Amino acid sequence: MYGLEAISANNGWAMAIIGPLIVMSGLTILAIIISQLHKLVALFDKKAKQTTEPPIKSKDEISAPNIFPNDILKTAKIYQVLIDKLEQPFELSDLYQVAVQNNFPHPILTVSRLRDAGILIRESEGLFIWNR
Amino acid sequence: MELLLQFLSNTGFYLADYRNFVMLAIGSLFVYLAIAKKYEPLLLLPIGFGVLIGNIPFFKGFGLGIYEPNSVLHYLYFGVTTGVYPSIVFLGLGAMTDFSSLLARPKLMLLGAAAQTGIWVTLLSAMALGFMPKEAASIAIIGGADGPTSIFLTAKLAPHLIGPIAIAAYSYMALIPIIQPPIMRLLTTRQERRIHMSEPREVSKKELMVFPVIGLFLCCFLAPASIPLLGTFFFGNIMKESGVVDRLANTARSAVIDTATIFLGLTVGASTQGDVFLTPKSVSIFLLGAVAFSIATASGIIFAKIMNLFMKEKINPLLGAAGVSAVPGSAREVHLVGLKEDPTNFLLMHAMACNSSGVIGSAICAGILWSFMM
Repeated sequence: MYGLEAISANNGWAMAIIGPLIVMSGLTILAIIISQLHKLVALFDKKAKQTTEPPIKSKDEISAPNIFPNDILKTAKIYQVLIDKLEQPFELSDLYQVAVQNNFPHPILTVSRLRDAGILIRESEGLFIWNR
Repeated sequence: MELLLQFLSNTGFYLADYRNFVMLAIGSLFVYLAIAKKYEPLLLLPIGFGVLIGNIPFFKGFGLGIYEPNSVLHYLYFGVTTGVYPSIVFLGLGAMTDFSSLLARPKLMLLGAAAQTGIWVTLLSAMALGFMPKEAASIAIIGGADGPTSIFLTAKLAPHLIGPIAIAAYSYMALIPIIQPPIMRLLTTRQERRIHMSEPREVSKKELMVFPVIGLFLCCFLAPASIPLLGTFFFGNIMKESGVVDRLANTARSAVIDTATIFLGLTVGASTQGDVFLTPKSVSIFLLGAVAFSIATASGIIFAKIMNLFMKEKINPLLGAAGVSAVPGSAREVHLVGLKEDPTNFLLMHAMACNSSGVIGSAICAGILWSFMM
């Protein structure tokens, strides 16, 4: 069988109409989806950021200030919370350690200034007390 | 003396007939084109040399020929007849493909769909010429300009036509620089060829990683018969984009695809034994293949021009020619034709978007045709 008769007998017309329609609609849907993909990804990113809860702070955790004041008395007031965690007298290395653990900036410099100001007083060999 | 005569009667010189010489000439031409003209050497050299191997006359019954059970070539050919090699090639293709330009400009995907028109027109033409529906479907897929897809579908629907269809598909892929440019110039004006495409937006890594999953779901739910091709294609792509299995992705896009290409080309070439290959059907398949490929190119370009009627930002209609899935040959040709008109017009990246969409489109077409014929 040849010609149009063969096409009709083998259902060729239907295939030649439905086939490209399926391909075109499939790729069109895919194109629409990928055209929105960057928005979806951005949306999920935003949502993920929002739903990420801030880390729960333990009761012992102390929030460090971003900017330390120049005034040594104010600095001492901030350091007071660290001193309260230590037993008197204490070693400077312990104070330094808690300061680092709580992300206090420039702990060595600050401890040195507190000593100079007489707020940290040497009690005995290697041990210091806090001059309230 | 008798022994000598018996030996001589078993030599290729004695057993040869004119069909072997015709095919040896074609094989030599392919080898010449691959080496001297550098026309798709990765395809033409294995196929051309395979044609030479397959057409050396031999004494039948020794288990030497590709169609004789227990021959080495027959075992290697198993990957073709079962559709294993095309799936492996698609895995490597996926691991090579960068979808960022397609994701940046999704409307170019429509050109990949439009260029598949060649397949459907050829289906009707093949039926009209008296081919059985399964044969017609296998011939039609040449219009997708995708060698592995053509071989895959033919292996499933009309295994006796693998040789001519594979040779036609790969020949037309290799002849892209000759076939496509005249059609491009015929269907576009100089002004259209000079249209510059705007810079695409930057695509995030997340989009690139999500795309293979969405593509797999949508395409394979739509045409489940395309799973063997698109499944491995998108798997290869997610290996590349995820970045967590770089070693596997590198292997897929180098050693794995190369091995499959070598054996695919060689055995497809060897399957063109003169006595099996040189038939009136093969000639018709070659002619229909040329029609399919030309219509595919033309329909992509015409669809791009139709899109321009409705779009504010015009697209270069040459890109439509890259909607066929001959990767990256047709994209390169579009780029070169664009450059000839305007040396500052770089179309390659945009053409690759259409090309990769064409790969998906032709694999879906193969799936649809297969399910139509079930």
